[in-house]
Amino acid sequence: MNVLMNAKILSVLAATLLAGTAQAADPIKIGVPVGLSGANSVVAPSVVQAAELAVEEINAEGGVLGRPLKLVVADDGSGAVGAQKAFDALVFRDEVDVLISMETSAARNAGLPIVQRGRIPYIYTSFYEGRSCSPFLYVDAWVPEQQVPPVVDYLKAEGAKTYFLIGSDYAFGRGMLDFAESYIKETGGEVVGEEYLPMDGTDWTAIISQLKSSGADALITSTAGGAPNVTLTKQLRGAGVTIPYANLAVDEGTAKSMGADAEGILISASYITGIDSDENKSFLKAMNDKFGGDLRTPNDLSVPQYEGVYLYKEAVEKAGSTDPRAVLKALGEVSFTGPRGTIEMSKQHHAPLTMYLGQVQADGSVKVVESFPNVDPGEQCPDL
Amino acid sequence: MSLFLDVVTSSAVLFIVATGLLTIFGVLKIINFAHGAWLTVGGYCAVATTQTGLSPWLALPVAFVVGGVLGILTERFIVRPLYARPLDAILATWGLGIVIGQLITLIFGRDVQFTPSLIPGTVDVFGTAYSAYRLFALLAAVVLGLGFAFLMEGTRLGLSARAVIMNETLARILGLDTAKIRTVTFMIGTGLAGLAGVLLTPLTSVDPNMGVAWLVGSFMLVMVAGESFGTLAVACLLLGGAQVVVSTYVSPILGGITIAVLAALILRLSPKGFSRA
Repeated sequence: MNVLMNAKILSVLAATLLAGTAQAADPIKIGVPVGLSGANSVVAPSVVQAAELAVEEINAEGGVLGRPLKLVVADDGSGAVGAQKAFDALVFRDEVDVLISMETSAARNAGLPIVQRGRIPYIYTSFYEGRSCSPFLYVDAWVPEQQVPPVVDYLKAEGAKTYFLIGSDYAFGRGMLDFAESYIKETGGEVVGEEYLPMDGTDWTAIISQLKSSGADALITSTAGGAPNVTLTKQLRGAGVTIPYANLAVDEGTAKSMGADAEGILISASYITGIDSDENKSFLKAMNDKFGGDLRTPNDLSVPQYEGVYLYKEAVEKAGSTDPRAVLKALGEVSFTGPRGTIEMSKQHHAPLTMYLGQVQADGSVKVVESFPNVDPGEQCPDL
Repeated sequence: MSLFLDVVTSSAVLFIVATGLLTIFGVLKIINFAHGAWLTVGGYCAVATTQTGLSPWLALPVAFVVGGVLGILTERFIVRPLYARPLDAILATWGLGIVIGQLITLIFGRDVQFTPSLIPGTVDVFGTAYSAYRLFALLAAVVLGLGFAFLMEGTRLGLSARAVIMNETLARILGLDTAKIRTVTFMIGTGLAGLAGVLLTPLTSVDPNMGVAWLVGSFMLVMVAGESFGTLAVACLLLGGAQVVVSTYVSPILGGITIAVLAALILRLSPKGFSRA
C-alpha cells in the first residue's frame, strides 16, 4: 500500500517536473460521444473505426501543430440521459479540445447545452432532420434538403406522378417525409397516402393493403433504421409490391445483406462505397489494412466522422492553436478532400455535398445511378 | 377481399405466436415472460440453419427441439420452485428473457440478421394478388390448432394435462406424475414458441429483440382467451381483426394499441375473458 502510494506520488511529481518540457507534445484530445449501446450500437463501431484511422494517419504525419491527436470515446447510450453523462465527462473531466461525433438527435440536443457551457467546438457528423443551430456546432453531413430532392427528381423523371409515403412514427421519420411531401407538391407531384407505424411496430399489413389499393406510382419510406426497415421491406416484397421504391433510411450495408428483397431499392446518400475517386479507394484500402477481418463496412455515418477529424485538423492549423474561438471561426473556412469529395462547412455551419443516388443490384452491390454535385443544404441557420 | 385476407392472416400470425404462451399458462398457470426470448431463439435457429447451408424448412424442427430442450432446463432449474409463487415466476421468466437476449447478442451480435423467405411471391385469390407466405401462415395456424386439439382431446398426455388443469391434487393422488406432466407441457410450450419464431422470420427482421414486440400482444390475447385453444382462436380473430380494421380505416398508430385496449375492456366486463371455466 505504502509503496504504491509512494510510487503514485513520485509519478505525479515526475509528471509535474516534466510538464514544462512535455507541453509541446501534449496530445490534442478529441472527444467522441457515440451510441455504443442502444439504437446506434449497430453503426457506432464503424464510426469509431473511421475516427481511429483518421487519428492514426494524422499522427503518422506528425500530428497537428506538432502535437499528436488522441481519441477519448464515451458511450452515450444513443439517448438523452446517456448523452448528458458522456458530454459532461468529456467536456469537464477529460477536458477534451473538441467533440466530433455521430449521434442520435436526442443525444445531440441533450449534449449541446453542455458544449455551450464548456465553450468548445462540436462537429456533428450524422445526417439529421436539420435546423440545429449553435455557434459551437458544425455539421458535415446531410439534411433533408440535400437527401430528398435527388430521389424525387429521379422518380419524377421515371414517370412517377403519385407517391405513397410510409414511415416510423418519430421525429426523423416524420421530418423526412414532411419534407418529401412538400417537395413532391412543389414539383407538381401528388401524395396519395402517408402512413406511420410506431417505432416498435411489426405488422405493416394494413398499410401495405392501402398502398396497393391507392395505385401510387412510387413509394418513399423513412423508417427507423434496422429492424423496422427490414420488416417493412420483407412484407412489401411478400405482398408483391413492385413499384419504384426509394428508401430514405436504409444504409448500404443493410441493403446489401437483405439480398433479393432489396433489389431495385433506391437509396440517396452522400457516401456509397462504390464512389469512383482516388481518395475513396485509398481510404477503403487503408481501412481494410488497419482493421482486416474486424472491419465494419464504411458508410454514410462513418465517413463524415473520418472527414470531421481532418476538418478539425485543418481548422487548428489555420487558427494556429486549439483556442476554441479561433478554431470555431476557422472551421467554416477550411476544406478537406476526402472519400466524399471536397467538404467545406461554409453554409451556415452546414456543408454543401455531392449526393449519390444508388440502386441496389441483384447481387447486393449498390450501383451509383446518378450523382448530384454540390447540393446546397438550404437555409439551416440564417442567424449564424 | 384484401381486407378479409388481412384479417384472417393477421389473426393466424397472432395465433401462431400466442400458442406457446397459452400452452404454458393453461396447464401450469405460469405466465412465461421469457416467451419473447423463445421467439427470438426460434428466429436465430432459422438464421443458423440457413447459414450452414441447410434448407430453411429444416429450421422448423430444429427450433422446436432447441426451444424444447431449453424449456426442459428452464422448467427444471428456474420455474419448478416457483409454481406456488406465480408473481415471482413472472419476474424470474422476465429476467430469463433478458439473459437470453444478451446471450444471443454475445453470440450473433446486435445486427439485424437475414433469412430467406420460406415462400416468396404472391398467389391470386379471387382476383387479388396476395402474399403466398401469409396464406401459408393461415394454413400453419389451422394445422397447429387442430394438432393441439388432437393432442389435448385424443391422447393420454392431453387427458393427464386436463386432469392437472382441473384438480392437480386429485390428479396426483390418482397416481399421475404431475411433475413430469408439467415438464412436458413446458417443453411443448417453449418448443412451439421456437417454432413460431421461425414462422415469423419471413415477416420480420431477426434481431436480439425481435420477440419482445410480440410478447405484449400475445400476453393480452392469452389473458382474454383463458385456457383453451378454441377461445384463443376466437380472441385472435376478434382482436386481430379489430387491429386490422382500425389500422385500415382510422390510423395504423391507433391500430398498434387496439389489441391492448380491447383486451383491457373485455377483461373489465368479463374478468375471465372468453373462457367460461
